[in-house]
Amino acid sequence: MPPRSEGAGSIYDLGYRRYDGLRLGRRHSVLSLYLYTVRWAFGLGRRTSSKIIPVAISIIAFIPALIQLGVAALANDVEIIKPENYYSYVQVSVALFCAAVSPELVARDQRTRTLSLYFSRALLRRDYALAKLAALTTALLFLTLLPQVVLFVGNMLSTKDTSAFLRENWGQVPRIVGSGLLIAGLMASLSVAIACQTSRRSYATVAVIAVFLVSTPLANIFVREAGGLGNFAILFSPFDLLGGTTYWVFDVTPGSDSIVSIADLPMLIYPIVTLSFIAIATAVVLRRYERIAA
Amino acid sequence: MAVVAGRFSPEDSRAVQPSDAVRVYPSEVALLETRGLTKRYGTIVTALDSLSISLEPGIIGLVGANGAGKSTLIKILLGLLEPTSGSATVLGLDAATEGPELRQFVGYMPEHDCLPNDVSATEFVAHMAQVNGLPRSAARERTAETLRHVGLFEERYREIRGYSTGMKQRVKLAQALVHDPRVMFLDEPTNGLDPAGRDEMLDLVRRTGKEFGIAIIMASHLLGEIERVCEHLVVIDGGKLLRSAPIGEFTERTQVLAVEVEGEAAEFVGRLRGRGLKVVEEGRLLLIGIEDDAVYNQIRDTVADLGLGLIRIEQRRQNLEDLFRSPTQEAQDAATV
Repeated sequence: MPPRSEGAGSIYDLGYRRYDGLRLGRRHSVLSLYLYTVRWAFGLGRRTSSKIIPVAISIIAFIPALIQLGVAALANDVEIIKPENYYSYVQVSVALFCAAVSPELVARDQRTRTLSLYFSRALLRRDYALAKLAALTTALLFLTLLPQVVLFVGNMLSTKDTSAFLRENWGQVPRIVGSGLLIAGLMASLSVAIACQTSRRSYATVAVIAVFLVSTPLANIFVREAGGLGNFAILFSPFDLLGGTTYWVFDVTPGSDSIVSIADLPMLIYPIVTLSFIAIATAVVLRRYERIAA
Repeated sequence: MAVVAGRFSPEDSRAVQPSDAVRVYPSEVALLETRGLTKRYGTIVTALDSLSISLEPGIIGLVGANGAGKSTLIKILLGLLEPTSGSATVLGLDAATEGPELRQFVGYMPEHDCLPNDVSATEFVAHMAQVNGLPRSAARERTAETLRHVGLFEERYREIRGYSTGMKQRVKLAQALVHDPRVMFLDEPTNGLDPAGRDEMLDLVRRTGKEFGIAIIMASHLLGEIERVCEHLVVIDGGKLLRSAPIGEFTERTQVLAVEVEGEAAEFVGRLRGRGLKVVEEGRLLLIGIEDDAVYNQIRDTVADLGLGLIRIEQRRQNLEDLFRSPTQEAQDAATV
């Protein structure tokens, strides 16, 4: 124990000791920030009101899977919700989650100026940025990947011959994982790239939601009315871009009324553009945090 | 972390028992060292102007007027800002290139607000400890100890939004201290506190430095605070190092005598000047430069000749405030005394 001094002020002497234990360094530092941020995204460890929106949106993302499982339980071999379509059911939930949560994750630290405390600790600015991106991506996997896993497992359990189901559908597993990752990766990097530009949470929310929701009808107008070069507008609508990417991942042909069919671009272009946008958005985030004052 | 000869290494200090009040540093390693440190914003503003300084562990006051470059210096030492040129090492580690390694052993309490509102002090400080490399269980344990140390008890489980300024300052200090740093940078730690809060904060800072041997660099523009807490003083002005010395040297006696006489002083002043002494009148006081010891006798004789009452004659002590007298005034003083 430290030497204690007598006197009136000794109330402060309760317990401070030197620390000679482990210091785990940068890797642990980044991992802690990442885990804390994932928890933060769902409002864990915070007041109840912070949990309502993220948890409610996450539950909504599971509804299609539960409906399908319910239907399948009543009537075998009825598949109304297929893995390749799942994304189209949850895209609005994913966008709302991004709009609600990404400002919480990145704008807040700027507003409260907590960044100076992070940047004066055992990590680099880019570590902070990447931890935040990874955390939102992980949180989004709860909406894009987990319901599909539930659906897959539920379907498997509801069939009489589990091994036959696995043999038949095994090929779907990497596709489900791949599409879930691409969707989460693009939505997370785009929304963080937008939200980290401002310290005002409300501005960030509006900006994120605007980019996702306004770009879709705009792309529709260009593709359906203009055609030609206008077809490339589809690549600038995250929802449709991810729709095309999902079709490519599952190797299915979209219905003829789908905007992806109408745009009629080579399918490989969707995953390539998705990955490019993830890279660009990540670069934007890294650049922002290299320059931001702390 | 590897032990490199001549450099600070945590393993070295781990050998020191926690009960040792004073940390042992390898003597050849300065607490911090800067060489030609310069920071310019654009082409017009020079916040630091080729600052070179070397400091030994202790409680160090960093003083300067607002805008003198105190915060800029601290931010460069923490790696929060990149210098335009020059280099800085803290605990033997390069602030610019070995940041994460170095900052495990550094605590920082910024001048500005930096706390989130919507978490409890416990939750926040434990998180900050982990981000500084402490394992989860150690972080929790030390959070409780540190918050008690700074004087936060039951309220530490409440959200920070309900805290008073004084409590927030304590949380800010706690997050800088929770990982048991070797050196803490405190930027205006008493900002916004009432007099009682100021006293408590300064007491806490002084004891953290003295009893636990944590080196402290405290920036302040309030000289009274610096005098109460610090052992060494670094004065910067306009981004340049004005002086770095133990605090005692700043209050040393000067080569000026303050003399007060009863009666008609004008005649007295005239006689003294006639004897070739430099005299400046400052209210009722006469400031007389000490050229050599003969000056005492000359004053005594003059007083006796004129039959005046000598109220006092004393060698002037330098005042910390003298540091901040404008250069023109200083030049004036030098010319007249």
